[in-house]
Amino acid sequence: MRWTERRRWAPVLSVGVLVAGVAAWWVATRALSIPPYLLPTPEAVATRLLASPGLYAHHALSTLLKTLLGGGLGMAVGFSLGLAVAHVAPFRRVVFPYLIALRVLPTVAVAPVLLLYLGVGFDTAVLFVALVAFFPMAVSTAAGFDRVPPRHRDLLRSVGAGRVRSLLAVGLRFALPDLVAGAKQSAVLAVVGAVVAEWVVGTSGLGYLVLVSSETVQVASMLAAVAVLVCLGVGLYGAVALVGRRLVWTG
Amino acid sequence: MIAVEDLTVTFDAVTALRSVDIDVEDGEFVTVIGPSGCGKTTLLRAIGGLQEPTTGRITVDGEPPAAARDAGDIGFVFQDHALLPWKSALGNVTFLRRMAGKPADEAGAADLLETVGLGGFEDARPGALSGGMKQRVAIARALHLGADVLLMDEPFGELDELTREELSVELRGIWRDTGKTVVFVTHSVPEAVLLGDRCLVMDGPPGTVASTFSIDLPRPREADVFRTERFQRETARLRDALHG
Repeated sequence: MRWTERRRWAPVLSVGVLVAGVAAWWVATRALSIPPYLLPTPEAVATRLLASPGLYAHHALSTLLKTLLGGGLGMAVGFSLGLAVAHVAPFRRVVFPYLIALRVLPTVAVAPVLLLYLGVGFDTAVLFVALVAFFPMAVSTAAGFDRVPPRHRDLLRSVGAGRVRSLLAVGLRFALPDLVAGAKQSAVLAVVGAVVAEWVVGTSGLGYLVLVSSETVQVASMLAAVAVLVCLGVGLYGAVALVGRRLVWTG
Repeated sequence: MIAVEDLTVTFDAVTALRSVDIDVEDGEFVTVIGPSGCGKTTLLRAIGGLQEPTTGRITVDGEPPAAARDAGDIGFVFQDHALLPWKSALGNVTFLRRMAGKPADEAGAADLLETVGLGGFEDARPGALSGGMKQRVAIARALHLGADVLLMDEPFGELDELTREELSVELRGIWRDTGKTVVFVTHSVPEAVLLGDRCLVMDGPPGTVASTFSIDLPRPREADVFRTERFQRETARLRDALHG
């Protein structure tokens, strides 16, 4: 009873934290009389956002598209590679160390290289997003399929069950929690990747808007873009988490 | 019929089994007992086609173990029940048969749950079952596979004494009714005596068959067999062999 009550209050508290944060921001701008070109008031940011909703919607859509396409591509490749690492022994020995090495590499540093090879544009941005989203999915997938207990493997082998059959009936289900965790991380990183890509190679998108706004010192516009970006990221994470929870529960 | 001829299994530098010869007749119940690390499990895995022999020859009903395994002719029961936590008891019983590519038989599976004393628990998930009940599901799963050969690796090893005895007597009954060929690995002397027509005493490492015991007990064997003088005598005899 107490537990369910707590659960019911959790969202209210979450919103409360947001309201408190915005209130603190509002009080700070007033009480400390911070000039608007450094930190505009919350209502100035809201006004800016509502003054041209079309502009923000347009750029948000561009970012969303890059995130979905790039994220989807990255997760698909990451899943495939993780699957191969978990099931093909030579592949694990040869490829896995490179996977870890690549994980150490700051992907942000790769963006200018991509720019050099592929030029400015949507495709380059999508590819960069895919590159960023790929790692968590690959590593989680490999770890997930490793979770099938040895006795279950023996049992399947003891009736000559084929690899694909075993994978679909047992492996996938044991790996599911890791796959969901990997997908969540990938989704969040995809948003970050999209913003970075828009800074370096973009011609549109919320990241691009942030960059242009900051260059022209329109802090209200910049914060409005950031606010939309946060909503987009949280929304995407929530969607993946929701789908994941459904899958894990129903199997 | 299971025939093991001059079986040797080595893992890198370790010899797990050395020159093991065993014959198990059709419909025979053979128990295997011996100290930890004497290769009992390796022997069972080799018969079941889960472990490749280093040298020697094994046949199960005239076929190599891998062929018998792939045809679904070998039913394993492990110490770890290896049930799928997301499937019901009935789903777990039918699962292995499906994986073996055999035609579905839901009614037969339900009957088997009844046989192992789990009638009414068809829809229960493993998480809601006790250790003994889970192992009953695992036994029903192996029976439902429809294999003539059952290989059991300390299936009652993690259960309490009382449940163990209960399940042993029931397993003996199931064996009598189904006529399966059973090789049953155990650590427990009473279990080895109660269940087996014959008991192989292993020694090692490296694992060898030190002696073979014919168990002189009446059949059918019911729960009261534990209290008989003959049972006590047989267990004492087996204990002597193990420690001697």
